[in-house]
Amino acid sequence: MTSQFRLSRRSLLAGASAAALPMGSLHAAGTPFRFGLTLPLSGPQALYGSDQILAAQWAVADINKAGGVVDGRPLDMLVLDTQADPQIGIQMANRVVNAEHLPVFVTAWSAVVKAQAPIANDSKTVALVVGANSPNVAKLGDYVYTTYPLADVDLTALVEYLYQKMGKRRAAVLFVNDETGVAGAQIYRDAFKKIGGTIVASETYDNKATDFTGAILKVRASNPDTIHIQSQVSDTPQIVAQMRQLGLNQLVTSYAAIYNPEFIKALGAAAEGVIVTSLAPDAKDSPKVAAYVARWMKEKGRAPNGLPYTQYLYDTPYLVADVFRAMNKAGMAMTGENFRTAMMKVHSFELPLTGRTNLLATHEVKKPVYLMQVQKGAWVKIATMG
Amino acid sequence: MFEWPVISQILWTSLATTSFYVLFTAAFALVLKVNRFFNFAQGGVMTAAFYTAYAAVQMAHLPGWAAFGLALLVSALLSTIIELFGFATLRAKHASVLFGFIFTLMIAQFVAYTAALLFGTWTVTIFPSMFYPVTLVGGVAVSGWDVPAIGSAIGCLTVLFGFLRFAPWGQSMLAVADNPDLAGLYGIKTKWAYLMAMLIAGALVTVGMFLYGSRAQVQPMTSFDLMLFAVVATILGGIGSIGGAAVAAVMLGLVQNASILVIPSQWQGFLVYAVLFVAIVFFPRGVRLPERRARADATRQAPSNTSEQEG
Amino acid sequence: MTYLLVLLILVGLYIILASSFDLVIGHAGLISIAHPAFFAIGAYASGLLALDLGWPPLVAIPVATLLAAASSVLVSLPALRVSGDYLMIASLGFQLGLIELIKNLQFSGGSGGLSNIPPLVKGNVSPLTYAGLVLVSAAVVVWLIRRIMRSDYGRAVTALRDDETAAAMLGRDPIWIKVWVIALASGIAGYAGALYAHYFRFVTPEQFDILQSAALLTMVVVGGIRTTWGPIIGALLLETVPQLITYLNLPPNILGPAQGLLFTTLVLAFMFFRPSGLVSGSAAWRGSEPLEVVNVRRS
Repeated sequence: MTSQFRLSRRSLLAGASAAALPMGSLHAAGTPFRFGLTLPLSGPQALYGSDQILAAQWAVADINKAGGVVDGRPLDMLVLDTQADPQIGIQMANRVVNAEHLPVFVTAWSAVVKAQAPIANDSKTVALVVGANSPNVAKLGDYVYTTYPLADVDLTALVEYLYQKMGKRRAAVLFVNDETGVAGAQIYRDAFKKIGGTIVASETYDNKATDFTGAILKVRASNPDTIHIQSQVSDTPQIVAQMRQLGLNQLVTSYAAIYNPEFIKALGAAAEGVIVTSLAPDAKDSPKVAAYVARWMKEKGRAPNGLPYTQYLYDTPYLVADVFRAMNKAGMAMTGENFRTAMMKVHSFELPLTGRTNLLATHEVKKPVYLMQVQKGAWVKIATMG
Repeated sequence: MFEWPVISQILWTSLATTSFYVLFTAAFALVLKVNRFFNFAQGGVMTAAFYTAYAAVQMAHLPGWAAFGLALLVSALLSTIIELFGFATLRAKHASVLFGFIFTLMIAQFVAYTAALLFGTWTVTIFPSMFYPVTLVGGVAVSGWDVPAIGSAIGCLTVLFGFLRFAPWGQSMLAVADNPDLAGLYGIKTKWAYLMAMLIAGALVTVGMFLYGSRAQVQPMTSFDLMLFAVVATILGGIGSIGGAAVAAVMLGLVQNASILVIPSQWQGFLVYAVLFVAIVFFPRGVRLPERRARADATRQAPSNTSEQEG
Repeated sequence: MTYLLVLLILVGLYIILASSFDLVIGHAGLISIAHPAFFAIGAYASGLLALDLGWPPLVAIPVATLLAAASSVLVSLPALRVSGDYLMIASLGFQLGLIELIKNLQFSGGSGGLSNIPPLVKGNVSPLTYAGLVLVSAAVVVWLIRRIMRSDYGRAVTALRDDETAAAMLGRDPIWIKVWVIALASGIAGYAGALYAHYFRFVTPEQFDILQSAALLTMVVVGGIRTTWGPIIGALLLETVPQLITYLNLPPNILGPAQGLLFTTLVLAFMFFRPSGLVSGSAAWRGSEPLEVVNVRRS
């Protein structure tokens, strides 16, 4: 399951709560270039969703402040709340396509994306997926593209590092029984075996479980030298805590969603040494990112939840603006079909917070992977791969 | 995998984690026995107790014991409201079981939505850390949480059974459970018995949620999953038998955790439902030992006015 | 416009679900709350038959309907043999167990859900046509239930609800009547599920959990139990009022819980102050037996 909280996962009322917040222009004027954004503004994933939406809104405002897309024409983003619920996601996609006739919309959360895919494909509207990491996302259809690297990118890089730089040969995998867990665990296992290692244990757990003793003991019995956890963000601290308490002191790794200050806060000293992946450059790498993080501290008094994801959401309006610019230059009508053509023609974008992004014909992107490790209570970058 | 150290670890940790399950089950079974309601609203009391403790510790920075006290207060208040305004009214109107079910379910949801409103839906624990010191006892990792948990559960159950068996009020409650009209004729205030049962149940689940929430993360809907376990255990133990329910809870917990030795871990969640199905079809009156069955048959009174008479 | 049509489709599907649910809990007085489970079975069965076996949806849908009806017997028969209360627990367990099962099976798409379900006919059906189909189905279902309850069979069901012992004495086998009612209602729910699957083309296991049961309960209670129009009003309300609430401009993070609070409060208020619901029916909620329904064993 992609979402954690059952209450709104299937909202009691399958109605749609649409908080339409069109971002008007500040300094730009003229017929706007419009696109949609369907993300969870409320509901269980709102913690991440609302920060991502804010990042995108900042980007649109910044673009318009700098003169808009082209000829002073502003960028206009229609924000719709999906509550990370597939059925509401369908409603919102319908609105984007049939009520607003927009050529492209940005979306995330694997279950929502899967539900929206047929609508995007049937209506020839481009769906830009930012943040869902299941490899299936790239195969959802002609009009579904991801601008965020899928699980195979970061996990393969992680495996490479573990095998070559850290000499790990026996890996155990613990994963949650949902889309993200199953797919991610499969990628890790395949990559590890391919590079020459052995998978000594592969255990799954139910996403409602709170006691992982059995699975952990099975892992312990298999005697691994590294353990990979493909879990939900909320499970991971518990799993690591129980692992340490049951005497497993091996290196623990996990994936990009776990790269969060909350993880260290929840575990304290037990978080030391854990390695996770990150798919966006951090403040130390890039002055733009540093400025971005400083802006969060100034305006919100805190770092964003899921910083790398917000970086990608900040960059996406820039990508969209670039494509609109290309379409305008070629005199194309603002249809989804044309957007897609123009997007693939441009295919390489220099984006402010995540650097160069190349959209591949396989509907995905490949980006550098940053490996982060908890050292002395803080995340420290230990390697850049790819 | 079947070596002794692994088995003993699983057994120990299962035993420790069934502590809260036993408390939830005993509470559910008690209210079912005395108040004669399938009290799904217990989930609401559990949620309220947890979030009170959480707010006290993490937001008001009170010490653990104060948080526990506050949680007890809140759960007592909520239990009282449910009994005095809910169950009493349903009883007076001779409402059907369905009506009672809807009522309790809605209460549980109401509390869950309120908690979501006030505290958000991300998972939280009562204390900032889930970490407890570990001692190795003969190769088995014993966490600093385990012993207090088991101790609390045993303590609560002992007090409960002592109360029911020896205290006058406890015996009154049992009398009301048996036959409220007759008990009323003997001068027992049935209203007080019902209220007391709810209060005791509220206290039990507060202890249970305090234990649970100091070890695992909770969100507003967590109690629904925990309740299901209590319901299954109550049925397995036999409706009307709190002791049976408690034993069933322990057994079910052990089976569920130990099952990892034989079945793939992803099916552990499904196991509870499979057990429920077996229980309903083969043991609807609970898993009974031969001697108890004989005793029960011997003392069986005239058939009561239930729908089990047909078929 | 399509947006409204999609809303109409959802309303129509919920009318079907609420009416058939009312058949079980209202008319028959049976505490089976697993209605969404049969909605799920219908959706998954039709989806899988069309997707994996290549059956045309127009064939898959009726088959899925029958499957849903048949599977209800698995639950109702063993439980009813014991007592009505066990039906409640059994149905709850069945519903949640089914979700677990679907999550763990590969061919059903697991917890990620079943996607790319083929549309009703090749080349897809316009939302207008689909809305028409759903609304006509809803009208037929409502009419059907009304006819049945006014027939001899319906009278037997009502008699059974009111006084089981007397009904049994009249020579009708109570268990089979109940099983049939549940099967009928479940089949209808399965039909709704199949309709859903071939329009939205994506189903996940969590769509059918206890919150859906609560939603259906809300529709029936607030709308009016055992009435023709009650479930219709209930379905309409529950689908459209959330839309109106969004215009209150509440901060988004309280919007979801606020909607939930509104509806649970509504149900509670109706239960206690207007038990017959918005559309008044007969004496709504009085059970046939006093609260001695639980066979309490002396311990």
